[in-house]
Amino acid sequence: MKKVLLFLLISVLTLGLAACGDDDSSNGSSDDNSGDKETLTVWSFTDELEPAIEAFKEEHDVDVELTIVPIEDYPTRLRPVLESGQGAPDIFTGELVFVKEWIEQGYWETLNQEPYNVEEISDDFVEYVYELGRNSSGEVKALSWQTTPGGIFYRRSIAEEVLGTDDPEAVGEMFATRDAMFETGAKLKDAGYRLFPDEGAVRWFAQGQDPEPWVNENDELIMTEGRLNHFDYAKELREEDLTAFAPEWSPAWFAAMDGPINYNAGWDEVDAEATTEVEVFSYALPTWGLHSVLKPNVEDTAGDWAVTSGPNPYFWGGTWLGMYSGSENKDLAWEFIQMMTHDEEFLTDWALETGDVLSYLPVTDKIKDDFSEDFLGGQNNYTFFLEEAQKIDASVVTRYDQQIDTMFGSMVTEYVEGVKTKEEAVQEFYNLVRNSYPQITTPDQQ
Amino acid sequence: MNEQTKKKNKIIKSIFYTLLVLLVIISFIPFYMMIVNATRSNADILRNGFTLIPGQAIVDNYNVLLEYMNLWRGFANSLIVALAVTVLSSYFSALTAFGFSVYKFKGSNFLFVTILVLMMVPGQLGLIGFYDIMRTFGFLDTYIPLIVPPIASTFTVFFLRQFLSSVLHSSLIEAARIDGAHEFTIFHKIGVPMMMPAISTMAIFSFIGSWNNYILPLVVLFSPEKYTLPVMMGALRGSQVAQNLGAMYLGIAISVVPIMTAFIFLSKYIISSISAGAVKE
Amino acid sequence: MQSKLNKYGYVFILPFFIVFATFTIYPIILTFYYSFTSYSGFGDAAFIGFDNYQRLLTDSYFWEAFYNTIYIWGINFGFQLGIALLLAILFSDIRLKMKGLSFFRAAFYLPNLITIASVALLFGILLGWHHGTINHILLDLGFISEPINWLNNPTTARWSVALIGAWMWFGHTFIILMAGISGISNDYFEAALIDGASRLQMFFKITLPLLKPIMLYVLITSLIGGLQIFDLPMLLTDGRGAPQGSLNTMVLYLYNQAFRVNNYGYAAAIAYGLFIITVCFSLITFKAMYRKSVKGE
Repeated sequence: MKKVLLFLLISVLTLGLAACGDDDSSNGSSDDNSGDKETLTVWSFTDELEPAIEAFKEEHDVDVELTIVPIEDYPTRLRPVLESGQGAPDIFTGELVFVKEWIEQGYWETLNQEPYNVEEISDDFVEYVYELGRNSSGEVKALSWQTTPGGIFYRRSIAEEVLGTDDPEAVGEMFATRDAMFETGAKLKDAGYRLFPDEGAVRWFAQGQDPEPWVNENDELIMTEGRLNHFDYAKELREEDLTAFAPEWSPAWFAAMDGPINYNAGWDEVDAEATTEVEVFSYALPTWGLHSVLKPNVEDTAGDWAVTSGPNPYFWGGTWLGMYSGSENKDLAWEFIQMMTHDEEFLTDWALETGDVLSYLPVTDKIKDDFSEDFLGGQNNYTFFLEEAQKIDASVVTRYDQQIDTMFGSMVTEYVEGVKTKEEAVQEFYNLVRNSYPQITTPDQQ
Repeated sequence: MNEQTKKKNKIIKSIFYTLLVLLVIISFIPFYMMIVNATRSNADILRNGFTLIPGQAIVDNYNVLLEYMNLWRGFANSLIVALAVTVLSSYFSALTAFGFSVYKFKGSNFLFVTILVLMMVPGQLGLIGFYDIMRTFGFLDTYIPLIVPPIASTFTVFFLRQFLSSVLHSSLIEAARIDGAHEFTIFHKIGVPMMMPAISTMAIFSFIGSWNNYILPLVVLFSPEKYTLPVMMGALRGSQVAQNLGAMYLGIAISVVPIMTAFIFLSKYIISSISAGAVKE
Repeated sequence: MQSKLNKYGYVFILPFFIVFATFTIYPIILTFYYSFTSYSGFGDAAFIGFDNYQRLLTDSYFWEAFYNTIYIWGINFGFQLGIALLLAILFSDIRLKMKGLSFFRAAFYLPNLITIASVALLFGILLGWHHGTINHILLDLGFISEPINWLNNPTTARWSVALIGAWMWFGHTFIILMAGISGISNDYFEAALIDGASRLQMFFKITLPLLKPIMLYVLITSLIGGLQIFDLPMLLTDGRGAPQGSLNTMVLYLYNQAFRVNNYGYAAAIAYGLFIITVCFSLITFKAMYRKSVKGE
């Protein structure tokens, strides 16, 4: 192609402009780093690393710039940056749903080689967490400090009032099966509470029944019984009016954690008993839900929470850390990754402060027995989650998860809304998958 | 005319004025809701629905917003880009229009017709190729893809040329040449002032177009500190700010209110430009 | 001397054409090339002939996007032009002599200046279901008895986009129509007034025929813009066309295929599909307007 010729033309043309543009960007960054300290750049999709970065800055006397990109745009934004190397970060994080794809590409530096030699410390990590960072050719590309089994976080005061106990084990019994869960939901409803904020919460307890990857090694989409059940569970929740119509991640979802929210205003004709306010009993959240979702959004109900298990184990999310293979700051980047994933002192503080459940065994072994979380009324969530972590099967993670989960979720919603029958919704889901990934065959073709 | 018709006209008029005022109110209600809600806390909005009276949470909302995203930065970015686009497209379009009107050279008709034809091509047609080229040149995540291409604004060239052909007197240029002026001097000293009314009309269009452009910066910019305002607004939706309705409303208000204020001072000018742009067509 | 100076013409238009060739023509050609490949944005582009176009013709999502785009644009344009015309009739009425034109013009134009991204975000939360301000107000006023899930029903969602668009653009159209009307000589109206013509007669016999060229301009620009609608549907719901694909417009589909799932080759074919559709519609519009005006005269 004639790209070379064009390049010459353009470079002449934009010489002046490029200078202007550069001025601009250097102005921008000089606002942030006064002085000549080394600067480490980090990209992530949440602010959860902020305290760690503060600690790192102090200890190493360097500057760290954290760039947060909303998770929905994260891969779309990051990929071209990594591909071109322009403005690429030294460290970037990957959520569980992206990790599988990214370890196969050359963007992350390989860590099981000199001078990092992570294989030597691999025994210190919860196995599945470590193995998820390994790609098909055996290279370890990323590490994580956390493990992410899920549970059900519920309000103690409401449990006491309606269910007669706030003890996690007793409440766990009432969630032990699908039927028990819906029964509990009905009880709560009679008392004017709602089981879950929205229908999304049940996906874990439907799809977690028989976990399978979305797409197998032959590029075939797998539809499981559990996934099909998800449609029915969600519909049932809606029909029996067990939710508060507060969709996941919406302002109402967050507000419902800390008190009553406005509900079915105007529905009084339908149900004379209905109030205009309603409180939510429980949220299905994993380990990180405690410190990055509940704690920052809760004031009045702090201390009134506890965590227990649902009908089946599940896991959700997790953040992996790796350094950009083209980084010029690898030593410093490695320092940071080590601190975040393999520094006993720092991680002990981190765990005690945030309640995050670590994947680094030397620390978890040390603190798990007498861990007590004030936010959960003194409950030891550590032993609970570490037990749940044993049940995690990470082989179900695929590189398609983010997009396919989104498509599946929207089809479940359409079924719940009554727009489509279950068959239509499933069929439409297959069509959507094929449309985005023409190489995948769906069950209706197999 | 007799008294009765006059009276009748008066009644009709007052009905119409009422309707017009109603339409104005409808136009402004969304902005009013926005401003009221920007001062209320998330819990307040969710628990109490809508009220006409502002709340007291504006400072909290502002802090939540700024903690996550510096909208003023987006403002500055958008302003820089829009100004650069306006200046470059105005200057180079004037240059091109002048070239087409003043000189008779081989192929000028063909080239001008090419411009006319390509004026009809929707901007999205070359998007994929455009993105690819920008990546090849390493211009992604810079303002170059936003600022440089408007140098070739077909519509502006077309408009300026039409304008120039109605106001240009060749005797003026001849006189300047006899005085020994260089062609570029003639352009700067005679051409530009002559085209000024039309240039300022088009400048307003360029500015508004660049200011509101969403898809192009969305595709070519990656670093949040370089986002223009529309992209920053889009990013707000998926961000932690979206957890707090009050902060969200405030963010939108910040992106809207300065423009409204500027418009109050410039409305006459802007509207006469739009009128001029339409009629010249 | 004269012919020597004419060489400057090339110098004057050179910058324009360099930029034009590089950033407009070449991308269009490159996109055309990619539309015959399975390019994924990275690595090599494998040539696959007309496969992408074949897929496009039978792709129900693309045709759905086409339908949505036209649907939304149609409603939008109807309201936009309708309101603008009514206003224009009112303000050009020689008997009424309405005052305050410059104020109303400015007030109605204002929404057009606001970044569409902000408008979309604003309406996205105003139109919320159980927690949206518009529902709260309608409930308080007693217009509805239960909250309407505006953005979850295809019809209300499409209408929302269309009406928000109309709200943003009727002021602009009004200004342009007024500009056209002010170009019509007052003599016509004075003469008609003396002849005792009614308001409607004056509008249909004088204003409307003389406004035809400017209406064509409004129609064509609105059509070309409307076929490329992206910002509002992208930001109002999930950016993938929810609810039920009803806000999936052609450019949104192009964007998602290219930048979300990296099917650049197919996205390039979508761009050309969009282009062909735009050309067809423009030609039809031209023809229809032209034929009408010939008959009318």
